[in-house]
Amino acid sequence: MISKPLFKAAIKQNYVVFLIILSVLMVYLPIIITMYDPSTQESLNEILEVMPQALIAAMGFREIGGSLIDFIGSYFYGFLILLLPMIYTIIVCNRSIASHVDKGSMAYLLSTPNTRGKIAGTQALFIIVSTTIMIGIVTLVGLVLSNTAFPGKLDVKAFLLINLGSLLLYYAVTGIGFFASCLFNDTKYSLMVGAGLPVAFLVIQMISDVGEKTRFLKNFTLFTLFDPDKIIAGEDFILQFLALTFISIVMYGLGFYTFNKRNLPI
Amino acid sequence: MSIIEIIGLTKDYGDHKGIFDLTFTVEEGEVFGYLGPNGAGKTTTIRHLMGFLNPDKGSSKILGLDCRSERAEIMKHLGYLPGEIAFFDGMSGMEFLNFMAEMRGLTDVSLRDKLVDLFELDTKGKIRKMSKGMKQKLGIVCAFMHDPRVLILDEPTSGLDPLMQKTFANLILEEKSKGKTILMSSHSFEEVERTCDRVGIIRQGELVAIEDMHDLKQKRRRIYLLDFDNPDSAAKFADSSGFDIIEVNENTVKLSILGNVTELIKALHEFTVLDLNTETSSLEDIFMHYYGDDSQSITN
Repeated sequence: MISKPLFKAAIKQNYVVFLIILSVLMVYLPIIITMYDPSTQESLNEILEVMPQALIAAMGFREIGGSLIDFIGSYFYGFLILLLPMIYTIIVCNRSIASHVDKGSMAYLLSTPNTRGKIAGTQALFIIVSTTIMIGIVTLVGLVLSNTAFPGKLDVKAFLLINLGSLLLYYAVTGIGFFASCLFNDTKYSLMVGAGLPVAFLVIQMISDVGEKTRFLKNFTLFTLFDPDKIIAGEDFILQFLALTFISIVMYGLGFYTFNKRNLPI
Repeated sequence: MSIIEIIGLTKDYGDHKGIFDLTFTVEEGEVFGYLGPNGAGKTTTIRHLMGFLNPDKGSSKILGLDCRSERAEIMKHLGYLPGEIAFFDGMSGMEFLNFMAEMRGLTDVSLRDKLVDLFELDTKGKIRKMSKGMKQKLGIVCAFMHDPRVLILDEPTSGLDPLMQKTFANLILEEKSKGKTILMSSHSFEEVERTCDRVGIIRQGELVAIEDMHDLKQKRRRIYLLDFDNPDSAAKFADSSGFDIIEVNENTVKLSILGNVTELIKALHEFTVLDLNTETSSLEDIFMHYYGDDSQSITN
């Protein structure tokens, strides 16, 4: 149920954005990992205390424990992993269906003997596979770097779980983006929902971290379902992971259903 | 055998826009011209045939298969030229043709290369930088390259220069001789008269007539412009003849004639005519002459 030429075309269309985002991730990840130094951890905390607390909290740098996984979990998985790959997924989701409908090139895709399901399935597979590869590379590089710089210091199980969590979060985020892409004729509206919603989630997440007064906002963002601190602490995360999986399946399912049923003004 | 079958097809966009209770068929080996002014519903009809839209009522079939639910199967035998040209970002012409061939599972590229030569298409350049005519030619090659049994072409000659229009007309005639079934939309009568066997005329979403091309030419009113050697003979001709004179301006007489021009040639026998021109009649004129200038004005 996959069109190989379309998959190839999707790779060709998106690999530049993929590489750009990946290289930015690959700049930050080593910097953050090598910045870790158990002895300077204390002085770093002192610096953070001098800075406005609200700002630091909003960036996700909070309650920094002493271990390497706490450090990476806070500095990389608190904010950067939420922002950078999201830029990629927003672009790719919008390009998958909505931009073809908006430009009219969907007319060519659908003038070939491929069902709508096959077209949408190929595009969805590309989103899922490429996002998985991106997070997969981050995981691998993270593991290798940590073990090179600080052999045996990394809590590997927690690190893998954090990455699994962020991957599931991205399945849900791309699910929303894909559904929006299938639903609208106009990239304008597809982006409004497919980009607007995840960005709003991120902003709400940041505000909710600022203090007790805004804490209640946590209930309004999808990103609450991915909490690196809790995963590291070994608190319950299974339910959250299941919820993310469920949202992903529903969103992608809705995308397929909508695209199959709808009128296409192309 | 009917290759294309449209039965009671209705899509109401409100405000009298859309198509309403369309019924017609296109037979095997026939070239069918689908005529109407802009916004009449030609493209909406074609989008139904391509399975892009869900009809409110009625149905359309190609090769006996439902256009909406069995679209993918139909597309194995169909070539399509969209009315609006939109390709893929950053592909060159040849990359696009290769991509479309792969999407179709097409391996034999001999016909494609023949068509590229025929239309003098430069396939190396990026599509984004191509002229409108070049893009149109690319679309035409894409529609014909897999040798489909059925062709649906939305305003195929728009953007083509007269020479290429002729090349295109020859291609249509050649395909017709191979027994292909073709439906092509147009807003100009001249575009379809060379190639089409039958013409369907759509106005404000309703099919107002289906005519044989031969009958249509018989009934067609043409405007002629005659240049005489001096104003006197122009006036004399205008007074004496029984033709439908539209206007006399110095040496020039403008008149309209229904059907053949034998009588006009006979009447001109005793005059010196410096020049004789036909004014191409717009589709609007044809509507007015065939169906009367009723209260429903044909705008656009």
